[in-house]
Amino acid sequence: MMRKKSQSLLGMAFFGPALVLLTVFLFLPMILTLIFSFTDFFALNPKLTHFVGLDNFFQIFKDEDFRRAFVNTVCFVLIIVPLQGLGSLGLALLINRVTHCKKYFKVAFFLPVVMSLAVVSTLWIQIYSPEGILNSVLGNFGISPQPFINSASQALPSIAIMSAWQGVGYQMIIFLGGLQGINPALYEAAEMDHATSWQKFKDITLPELKPLCIFVFITITIGAFRMLVQPMVMTGGGPSHSTYTMVYDIYETGTVNWEIGLASTMAIVFAVFVMILTVIQTIATRDKEEKHVDKKAEKK
Amino acid sequence: MLTKKQKRNNWILTAVLIAASLFFLFPVIWMLANSFKPDAAITNDMNSFRAFVPPALNGNFFDNYIKILTDTSFVRYMLNTLFYAAVLIVLGVIVNGLAGYALAKIKFPFRERWLMIIMLLMIVPMETIITIHFLFIAKLGLLNTVTGYILPMIVNPFNIFLFRQVFVSLPDDVYEAAQLDHCRPLKYFFTMVLPMSKSVVATVSVFTFLNVWNDYLWPSLVFTSGDLLTAQIGLNAITSNDNTTMGQKLAVITMITIPVIIIYSLFSKQIVEGVVSTGSKEG
Repeated sequence: MMRKKSQSLLGMAFFGPALVLLTVFLFLPMILTLIFSFTDFFALNPKLTHFVGLDNFFQIFKDEDFRRAFVNTVCFVLIIVPLQGLGSLGLALLINRVTHCKKYFKVAFFLPVVMSLAVVSTLWIQIYSPEGILNSVLGNFGISPQPFINSASQALPSIAIMSAWQGVGYQMIIFLGGLQGINPALYEAAEMDHATSWQKFKDITLPELKPLCIFVFITITIGAFRMLVQPMVMTGGGPSHSTYTMVYDIYETGTVNWEIGLASTMAIVFAVFVMILTVIQTIATRDKEEKHVDKKAEKK
Repeated sequence: MLTKKQKRNNWILTAVLIAASLFFLFPVIWMLANSFKPDAAITNDMNSFRAFVPPALNGNFFDNYIKILTDTSFVRYMLNTLFYAAVLIVLGVIVNGLAGYALAKIKFPFRERWLMIIMLLMIVPMETIITIHFLFIAKLGLLNTVTGYILPMIVNPFNIFLFRQVFVSLPDDVYEAAQLDHCRPLKYFFTMVLPMSKSVVATVSVFTFLNVWNDYLWPSLVFTSGDLLTAQIGLNAITSNDNTTMGQKLAVITMITIPVIIIYSLFSKQIVEGVVSTGSKEG
């Protein structure tokens, strides 16, 4: 009895510091965000706060900036997910096959991951500049100078290509790990049956990698939804709001304009999207583990 | 054994990949080569192959770097960031480690429920609550202070969970033996548990460092004065200054990447393990 009591005291003492910080910096902010999303809380004049029900939710979807930010974020996701996902898968498949310079390739394609987003953005401002190196390289192929991040139509795709460039090596490493995890006996069996490389890829590699693919593609989607640093450093959301994203709008509304009520509503909408994606991802990954267990059970 | 044809194909594939990797890395190669040039040379070389070749080694070779190191607060920003990272690693390992240990080994009320809550917290994106963090820190009068920057970043559900997963598999008999020796729980945690789990401590420390080093939004909100900026925010301050030449900008972003390259090469095993097992960097 004594022992049990001292155990729970000890447990609370060990868990206590984390609990205090979790309460102040996670639970409380989450609850406040939820409450503020139903109010017109303006931090510079908190006394005039009213409960406004669902008004904020209607208002943000009527608001042109937020709608623009939402569409931009979705466009960004639609460009970067296939680019970075298929790019990393392709790189992993090729690097898995070569026998020479394997280590060099891993390091080379991983290098941009090491550079932070702010650094990469600062570098690519120079790369994308009208008289910059990219226009000069393209000029050698007879392509006329492009405005890239200075034009409303090209800014978002330019940032997406840069972001895919920065992140592709990360997922490549994940896929390489997955490829090495495939049982070599499967390929040996296929070779006995004189299967072609394409058949081996289609019938062994792809099905074995499928759960990992789902995982990686959703990871990239979540990352893309959270995009902020690139437009903050490179374009300030412009030209004419073409690179304004959801998180950018939350940040500006909340911390620049101090309209915490509206910012909270946007944050809730944003969080719902990200959390749905995370839950799908968790379920998809759990299936993968269960399948592995099933397979082991079958073998026995 | 590889056939002759397979061998030839392998060489072709290698050659194609080498070409692809050079094309892929052209921004980095251009950055390195031109960080040693004055602006006139950068513009001059832009349309020729020399854009990717560093200049001849002479007395002015490191001018851009020296200028940045002596004329700007760059060193100060780097040291600031290293200091914040060190403080957050120590506090983070203690706070999250103790919590992870409690969740793994000590029976206290609602333990399973707390674990569930920690796992649920892992899916909340930080961007959602960063406005409220900013509001709190502003109300507490801690804007533009180190405390204000560090406080919300100590606790991390992801790290608590990581610690818990490792501690749960520690043998119980060591703990019982330590209790017979009247070893205090806190002493036991620091002298036995942490040293037995070096690998997870290293993983958490490395990810904390990378998180602090790469973070942009939070430090840009908290810090306004030049003395306290982190390297990433300082980078912005230096490059947006009109007096900074293009060569100097390239020198800054080269130097700012060096500590991270060192960390990655020293801890590549932990990082790759972390990447493959969790599939995501935190942050």
